[in-house]
Amino acid sequence: MLESLKHKTILVTGASSGIGRTTAILLSLYCDNIIITARREKELNDTLLMMKKGNHQVIVADLKQTSEIEHLAKTIPSIDGWAHCTGKVLPVPVKFIQQKHYEDVFQTNYLSAVYLLSHLLKYNKLNANSSIVFISSISTLHSYFGGALYTSSKAALESYARTVALELAPKKIRVNVLQPALVRTNIYEDTVNAAMNEEEIKKYEKQYPLGIGDPQDVANMIVFLLSNASKWMTGTFIKMDGGLTLGFNKSD
Amino acid sequence: MDIQEFIQRLENEFEDLPKGTLKPDTNYRDIPNWSSMHALIIIAFADAQFNVELTASDLRNANTIQDLYDVIKSKMQS
Repeated sequence: MLESLKHKTILVTGASSGIGRTTAILLSLYCDNIIITARREKELNDTLLMMKKGNHQVIVADLKQTSEIEHLAKTIPSIDGWAHCTGKVLPVPVKFIQQKHYEDVFQTNYLSAVYLLSHLLKYNKLNANSSIVFISSISTLHSYFGGALYTSSKAALESYARTVALELAPKKIRVNVLQPALVRTNIYEDTVNAAMNEEEIKKYEKQYPLGIGDPQDVANMIVFLLSNASKWMTGTFIKMDGGLTLGFNKSD
Repeated sequence: MDIQEFIQRLENEFEDLPKGTLKPDTNYRDIPNWSSMHALIIIAFADAQFNVELTASDLRNANTIQDLYDVIKSKMQS
């Protein structure tokens, strides 16, 4: 069923690193028309170099700026799918949260999705039978120290997605949400390695019965959700956590 | 701000830490019950009090309280 992707046009936001980049690369094996976008031009071009060749398009855009969102929505051709992989992790202990942190996290994780979708609809850029995939996080169900802003921005995105799924169903546009746990990305390198010593990292990773995930594990599901193989799924939340939230893992 | 004042302010943030525990040559990772939460507090403390953004590598490269003070101070000037 992945051959259904061949002639679709798919937008991948946040394609300069991590899950977004991996998704663009994997998707390029099946799909000839991918639009990749992110804020950082060099990294975005690096992603393009790693993708299988096709009629792909690179558009630099900072989705924290409403004007750039509008420009992106106006510029791109009509699409059949959108994987929204833009994300910002900013651990801040509750006591230290300031407005600038809130704006940074919510603009990147929540408002970027809200405004880009409304502009795509306004400019009639979402074809019937399109599939939208939002990346949330397991942390909306399973919290962690310092995660108050991050988890609440993702929770807002999840709640938003339910309404969108309902509103867009008449056009057979589908919206599904992934809730991955920790995967090995730069975000992981930056946050976990900086804050934890080796012993703590080991203890942390032991909580995952199947170990920490790879971006590819998440990208596989995104590609499936973008394809017609998932055409009866909408408003679904898919937990991908290597067994983290099953219960206490055995200790050695 | 000298290092004594810096230490006082930092100790205020670690609520579970008896005053006078930190010295300039203390390795901050040896603070009793050190956890990733303390690292987050240090990053947030530098941000809130000095408007300095400490990166992951800043923290990796700093071992003692003096190191922390130095990196924050140098970033305040730049």
